[in-house]
Amino acid sequence: MHRLSAIELRNSFLKGKFSAQEICRFYLNRAMKMDEQLGAFLSLFPEQAMERAKALDEKKASGQVMGKLAGLPIAIKDNIHIEGEITTCGSKFLSNYRAPFSSTVCRLIEKEDAIFIGKTNLDEFAMGSSTQDSAFQSTSNPWDLTCVPGGSSGGSAVAVAARMAPLALGSDTGGSVRQPASFCGIVGFKPTYGRVSRYGLVAYGSSLDQISPFATTVSDTALLMEVIGQHCEHDSTSLPIPGEDYLEGMNKNGLMGMRIGVPREFLEQLAEEPKKIFNDSLKKFQELGAQIVDIDLNILKYALAAYYIIATAEASTNLARFDGIRYGVRAPGAKTLEEIYTMSKEEGFGPEVKRRILLGTFVLSSGYQDAYYRKAQKVRTLIIEKYREAFKLCDLIATPVSPFAAFEKGSIKDPLQMYLEDIYTIPINLAGVPAISVPNGFTSDKKPVGIQLIGPQKADKRVLHAAYAWEQATPFHNAMPPLAQQEI
Amino acid sequence: MTQPTHHSDWETVIGLEIHVELNTKSKLFSSAPNRFGDEPNTNISEVCTGQPGALPVLNKEAVRKAVQFGCAINGKVAAFSKFDRKSYFYPDSPRNFQITQFDEPIVIGGTIIADVNDQEKSFAVNRVHLEDDAGMLKHFTSFTGVDYNRAGVPLIEIVSEPCIHSPAEAVAYCMAVKAILQYIDASDCNMEEGSLRVDANISVRKKGEQGLRPKIEIKNMNSFSNMHLAIEAEIRRQIWEYSHNTDKEIHEIIAQATYRWDPEKKETVMMRRKETADDYRYFPEPDLPPIVLTPAYIDKIRAELPELPRERERRYVEKLGLSHHSAFVITSDKPTADYFEKALEKCTNARALCNWITIEFAGRLKDTGLSLVSIGIEPDHLAKLVTMIDSGKITGRIAKAVADNMMESPGKDPEQIVAENPDYNPVHDTSEIEPLVDKILAENPQSIADFRAGRDKAFAFLVGQVMKLSRGKASPQVVNELLKKKIS
Amino acid sequence: MAEINKETIKTLAYLSRIECTEEEQEALSKDLNKMVGYVSLLDEINTEEVLPCNQVVDLENVFREDERKATLSRDIFLSNTPKSFGGFVVVSPVFKQS
Repeated sequence: MHRLSAIELRNSFLKGKFSAQEICRFYLNRAMKMDEQLGAFLSLFPEQAMERAKALDEKKASGQVMGKLAGLPIAIKDNIHIEGEITTCGSKFLSNYRAPFSSTVCRLIEKEDAIFIGKTNLDEFAMGSSTQDSAFQSTSNPWDLTCVPGGSSGGSAVAVAARMAPLALGSDTGGSVRQPASFCGIVGFKPTYGRVSRYGLVAYGSSLDQISPFATTVSDTALLMEVIGQHCEHDSTSLPIPGEDYLEGMNKNGLMGMRIGVPREFLEQLAEEPKKIFNDSLKKFQELGAQIVDIDLNILKYALAAYYIIATAEASTNLARFDGIRYGVRAPGAKTLEEIYTMSKEEGFGPEVKRRILLGTFVLSSGYQDAYYRKAQKVRTLIIEKYREAFKLCDLIATPVSPFAAFEKGSIKDPLQMYLEDIYTIPINLAGVPAISVPNGFTSDKKPVGIQLIGPQKADKRVLHAAYAWEQATPFHNAMPPLAQQEI
Repeated sequence: MTQPTHHSDWETVIGLEIHVELNTKSKLFSSAPNRFGDEPNTNISEVCTGQPGALPVLNKEAVRKAVQFGCAINGKVAAFSKFDRKSYFYPDSPRNFQITQFDEPIVIGGTIIADVNDQEKSFAVNRVHLEDDAGMLKHFTSFTGVDYNRAGVPLIEIVSEPCIHSPAEAVAYCMAVKAILQYIDASDCNMEEGSLRVDANISVRKKGEQGLRPKIEIKNMNSFSNMHLAIEAEIRRQIWEYSHNTDKEIHEIIAQATYRWDPEKKETVMMRRKETADDYRYFPEPDLPPIVLTPAYIDKIRAELPELPRERERRYVEKLGLSHHSAFVITSDKPTADYFEKALEKCTNARALCNWITIEFAGRLKDTGLSLVSIGIEPDHLAKLVTMIDSGKITGRIAKAVADNMMESPGKDPEQIVAENPDYNPVHDTSEIEPLVDKILAENPQSIADFRAGRDKAFAFLVGQVMKLSRGKASPQVVNELLKKKIS
Repeated sequence: MAEINKETIKTLAYLSRIECTEEEQEALSKDLNKMVGYVSLLDEINTEEVLPCNQVVDLENVFREDERKATLSRDIFLSNTPKSFGGFVVVSPVFKQS
């Protein structure tokens, strides 16, 4: 069953081949058995999930119309709210926090008859690129357990890659879905900023965050996007346009006639192996009818700096609310107000979170704000402009997702070096444009690699269709990590 | 205490910041109820309790009321304004940042015309902006409790230029602002409940001195009279300090600090020193798009403004013949002016009605904390009282006693009060009065002579004597008529 | 380019109410110095005529009607609160009122 795509699985359920309870039990079983070595899930909901599956079977039996995600188990990154369930954000601080409301995306998913099977691990408050900075556990890459799955949405990526769930949601602020997707050999898609509601997503970088789907195929990704890509009245940054039909017209000609821009100068630093894999992909694009065009995105060498200023500035204020007063873990020894503030954070926040909050506070502080925060905002304007100019010359832009494949756990100790990981994914969040990571090969040590296709704002459909064409013409999406292959 | 120093060498510079809670149904950024006086934490939402994952959505009506106020004070309503995050930690702040408007407020400039000691004075407003209110702290013996009912309530902050030069001007300015807010129905303007809060920034300087000396901020003045006291006390204190520390540098004498007014002790108490300016780290709020207002929208709001206090005042002077001062007093408080107009429906003696409302009854109500409306004296009853005086049914003296009775039994018809009390029924019977008139005339031949010689005072004297003899019971009208008949 | 020393870290930690031990302050000042050093790369670009980007997608006037709708129940709110009493969220005495 785990070899089926989400769409195939749903259709099997609708046709009566499998019951929702069978499907749910199967995946829960897999999760419970496999997750010991993988550490993808922070929590599983076996009772609720089976109850829901039962209700779905009854709903189907009564002849009612079933939702788009009928019977499909889905894993949710633990910074997205499901009402009544704990949302930890990978932090000790929220280890006992029960979400008082459901995120819009979970409401939409539930309406379409999917089944939540658990919450997945992440770097604390979504700050990280390895899923090693969670306060609770480390997540491992199913292709190589000594390696990271990428981050910050590593748990969700692993849940899908190891086929513990056919679908998962993550959040992408600087590449947190696309990078783990490429490290784990699956599809990860970050929509245009504002396409998916952020209501119920614990904010990290407010102007950068987007909830993003993971799946093993592009069609599955598109299906999930159809469900979650809706206008939301609780999110003032939500695009005021109706949902789109991403699956409609999706075919293998999605790259025919497309001009694909490549920012060669910006990619010069790429190491030999990833460079070769990337260039081979470009050749394949041409075979599929696309035209490769040179574009100038040299400004992107400043993107990382601008991102770390803006994201940490926003984060420093977004996380200020975690003071142990209204919710969260309050330091038991705290007696005075000042102690409540400082001790709760001392015991609640990990080092990476502290680093980013302090940096964010610094770049906003009096005397420095102009030189850092305002400067970064201006550079952001330039980046957006450069992307617009580039898209006059091409329909899509292609880059690698990451300078290299999944690295060994603990091999990157320098935080700054870790930040440099995200060099290809970060500019996309600054510009608010849609981008997808699809598998495009393997390294010599059998680790998956992904290629990134980027579109202009609101061209989500174009990106998905091009990725589909790519996927259909290549064998990579069929690959499954060896440890996931057994039936269980 | 200290000897008041000679003030005429010194002048005072006062700037006022007035925070006004708008009377919208729901809060500024969420649909939680905007209501005072309910059980703690019962008018809350995920937004105003700073839950992670919550997002603000702007209340249309709050924007409209802010624009209305801007038009009413002839300020410039900004075509473009936006929100900013203001960071500071305090338990009453659900997010530890306030959403306010820093550098692009919704209204710029404006004028408040106030009546200071019967003279019209014009005061400049610097700006008006929207922001959300904080929750409330309640102090118990062993702990402090936080109630977030008020958190998120829409506020407009009205900032004056430092153009107010005395406590009287400060009170006049605030009364004028309050009147405008009442007339456009933007707020309950209740200082005791906190829907109108005034902070004063006070400094003094030698007459003619350029530049401003360090200022003191006073908060928590919960009535206009307390505000007068507080400001006056602070001015005296500053002058005393400067006068008695002539050996020190000016900037060392008064240290910038914030005081709060203690209503029980009737003095200011220092809250905190302001050694360094607070670093609020303002930056644009990423969760809220800007407000863009068209001239058409603004013009429509301006055109649809209801009658404003000064317009009403002018109407009363021009159409009803009230004196400027009376018209000002009665229109300063909209409920009172409305009451007056209701009474006018039944009695056309505007001047007398005004007098009874603003002097006679105002005096009687002074220490009760009530108004004519809240005590329950009907406007028609007031009208009846005046009518009875005008028709000669009762004398002015009797009317005062009737007014006292009306205070004791609000809601009781004065005609009934008069009917029930024999003392209030002046005698009209000529046959009863004539003997008294004759007696007085017989006893005062000189007065008769004086009157015939042209001294009207003598007539009044004779009237008075008859009234005295009748113990006030004779109808003055009848006495006048009889006397005239007999001695003209 | 700004220099971040332990004093700076102490100030920043106070502004954001984060507690740092002596060692942490050492480590953080090193890390932050490095990061600030890196982000100072932006000094290279001329942004004189450029406006800051406050909105990624050009939205304006996103309003809601002034209606009261379902709110958070006090019970659910306080169920996550570490300390509450009588419907209030409890904090230590905030100031010495005298």
